[in-house]
Amino acid sequence: MSNAYLDLLAYFGIGGAHPGGFNLTQSILEDVNIQPIHSVLDIGCGTGQTAAFLANRFNCKVTAIDNHPVMLKKAQERSKNSEASFQVFERDVQNLNFMDNSFDFIISESVIIFTQISKTLNELSRVLNSNGCLIIIEMTAEQNLSEELQRKVCSLYGIHEILSEEEWILRLREVGFSQIEIINTPAELPQSEINDINQSININKDFYDLWEEHNHFIHHYRHLIGYRAFKCQLNEK
Amino acid sequence: MSQSNVYSQCCRYHGQRVRITCDDGRVHIGEITRVSRNMVWIRPDNNLGGYGLGFFGDGFGFGGFRFGFGIALGAITAIVLASAFFW
Repeated sequence: MSNAYLDLLAYFGIGGAHPGGFNLTQSILEDVNIQPIHSVLDIGCGTGQTAAFLANRFNCKVTAIDNHPVMLKKAQERSKNSEASFQVFERDVQNLNFMDNSFDFIISESVIIFTQISKTLNELSRVLNSNGCLIIIEMTAEQNLSEELQRKVCSLYGIHEILSEEEWILRLREVGFSQIEIINTPAELPQSEINDINQSININKDFYDLWEEHNHFIHHYRHLIGYRAFKCQLNEK
Repeated sequence: MSQSNVYSQCCRYHGQRVRITCDDGRVHIGEITRVSRNMVWIRPDNNLGGYGLGFFGDGFGFGGFRFGFGIALGAITAIVLASAFFW
C-alpha cells in the first residue's frame, strides 16, 4: 500500500525519522542489556541507522526489515558500508515469514502506527521469544481527539487509527504482552536534528509540499498528538 | 536537482536553518539569508563553517559577508531543513 509520508522519508532518506530521533534510540537501547548472543529484529528499518548501531555497538545478530523499495536499497547500502553488517530483508510486518520465537528483541520506531496495528502486534508477539522484549516508539493521542482531527491525521499520514496510551496498552495486552513499561521520554514531540541523510536525486516538488503540510500540522497539534515509548514482555517474571 | 528546483527550494526555506549538500560532498548548515538566481547565502551555525570552502561556481563565493556564506546553486545536490519533526 502506498503512503506519501513514508515515501517522503524514503526519498529524503532521513535516518532517525521518528519521535525522539536517534538520540532516543541510543539511550533506550543502551539500557536494555543486549548481548552478542541475542537476535534482534528491527522492523521498518528505514535507511538502517538503528540496525547499523545495534550491530556495531552490541555485536548482536541484527535482522532489519522494511517494505519500501527505496528504504531497502538505502539500508542495504548502509549494511555494505557498515563495519558490522546486518541482514536486510523485504518483509511485511503484518505477515512475517519468520518462525515463532525467532527473536530476543524487536524494535519498532514509529512503524506499527502505519500498519493494521493489532495484526502487526499479533505477528510481533508470535516471532518474539517468550522471554524476549519488544520496544516500540509510536505516535499516541494525548487526549480524546475530535473526529475531524482523527480524519485529518489519518489522511495526512496514511494511518488507520490513532491510539491513546491506554489503548496502546490494551492492544499490547490483547496479544499477550503482560509486562508493559512506559519509558520516560520528553513529553512533547521534540525536533530532531537531521544529520543522517541519504537523499535521492530529483525529489518531486510534491514531497517538499507534503513536508510543509506536515510541519504545519505538527505546529498546530503537537500538544494533542505526542508519542510513547513502551518496553513490553510476554511473561511475568 | 535542477537549478530551478534548487532555487525554488531555497526561496521556500528563506530564513530557516537548512542543510545543503554540494556536488563535492561538502555539507553546509545554516540559516538562509539571501537567494539570487545563481546563489544562495547562509549564515553558518558556527562562524568558521564557511571559511575556505566557499569558492564554488562563478568564483564569487563570498558574496559579501553581510549575508554570510555564498554557495552557487549549480553546486547544490540536496537541500533540506536542518531539523524537523518526524513520526
